[in-house]
Amino acid sequence: MGHALEAVQRQLVEILPRLRRFARTLTRNSHDADDLVQLAVERALSRLDQWRPDSRLDSWMFGIIRNAWIDETRAQKRRNRLFTVAEAGENVADAASEAHIHRLSVEAALAQLPEEQRMVVALVLVEGYAYKEAAAVLEVPIGTVTSRLARARETLEALLGGAEGGLP
Amino acid sequence: MSIPDEKLMAYADGELDAVERAQVEAAIDADPSLARRVEKHRALRSKVSSAYASVLDEPVPERLLNAVRGAPAAARDDRVVDAGRAPVARSRDRMATRAASWSWPQWLAIAASVAVGVVVGRGVLTSPRPSIGTESGKLVAQAALDDALTNQLASEQSRSAPVQIGVSFRAKGGELCRTFSIRQADTLSGVACREASSWSVRVLARAEGAQTQPGNYQQAGSGMPAAVRAAVEAQIADEPLDAAAEMAAQKNGWK
Repeated sequence: MGHALEAVQRQLVEILPRLRRFARTLTRNSHDADDLVQLAVERALSRLDQWRPDSRLDSWMFGIIRNAWIDETRAQKRRNRLFTVAEAGENVADAASEAHIHRLSVEAALAQLPEEQRMVVALVLVEGYAYKEAAAVLEVPIGTVTSRLARARETLEALLGGAEGGLP
Repeated sequence: MSIPDEKLMAYADGELDAVERAQVEAAIDADPSLARRVEKHRALRSKVSSAYASVLDEPVPERLLNAVRGAPAAARDDRVVDAGRAPVARSRDRMATRAASWSWPQWLAIAASVAVGVVVGRGVLTSPRPSIGTESGKLVAQAALDDALTNQLASEQSRSAPVQIGVSFRAKGGELCRTFSIRQADTLSGVACREASSWSVRVLARAEGAQTQPGNYQQAGSGMPAAVRAAVEAQIADEPLDAAAEMAAQKNGWK
């Protein structure tokens, strides 16, 4: 067991950058994204017995991040309905470079998507997952992934299409 | 031959098998507009993925590496907040989240201490008819506060009413609760919950900073002291009541 744990820990360190990237597509605030990853790592280590070593650790971790995020957004939505939260635009302070502007515009466009579509975009377009793999992480049929992705692309196309960069 | 956009998208994403791929490619040969649509899908994909590429190059924060190294048994004892709690809330509103693990008895203790310190000094318990009194050791609403909690609807209240009702909600224990603000020299805010035949004041605190915005339903929460917000967040069972549900609850005697 100790040996297996070490192997998982090594793999986790390897995929941490990708876990951070996935979390970043869900929450635009990088600190929140790292909180999410940390929580997911802690959860994963506490329930390692649920992980099948012959399956993909990254997919399992994405699923844990996803569930943690769903828990959080539910609480957050309720908070927002109860109390007005004025912190939009916290990332828009210094648009230093063209790359930064490009990133902000994509982030802003992604933020317009419903949660379920954003997760498909994160897994397929950013992470490069096949539809089937994304469907497994999200626990939905592959047809659902396809239709969510198609709708998300339509929205993104409308927001980002045409000229490169520029805030929508 | 017409090709549905979802199929073109799947083609652009490399999702089709050899047979379908051949069909799409034949269609593209016959219709250049299809090629442009495929190109659009690919361009969007690279636009989105390139936006996040730099995250991979960022140094991974030490705390995440530590989280990986921390064996499952080595739970950190310096954490007030349960690891199962929302991470974003933890960073955004630590107080509220920490409060979320408190139960009513703890809030009652706070209410009691605040009440002694604040309320007694401010006339709510004295002239002319006190709005809050004690009943077998509990704080209960009386007079104008009792009247407002029982009869006043947040959606219809007058801006000049001395007691303003904020949100109404069902607590985890099943009882209906309402937040309120009493405007006097100072504004006091709190949470009261319906028990048998009276409103039990569970949390009471002095409003922070400026006066609360009277009559503004949307603003009801933002002027509330953190302790009140946190108590609501901790104790709300589901969603706050909307105007129709609030009216229905009132008709039903807040049961």
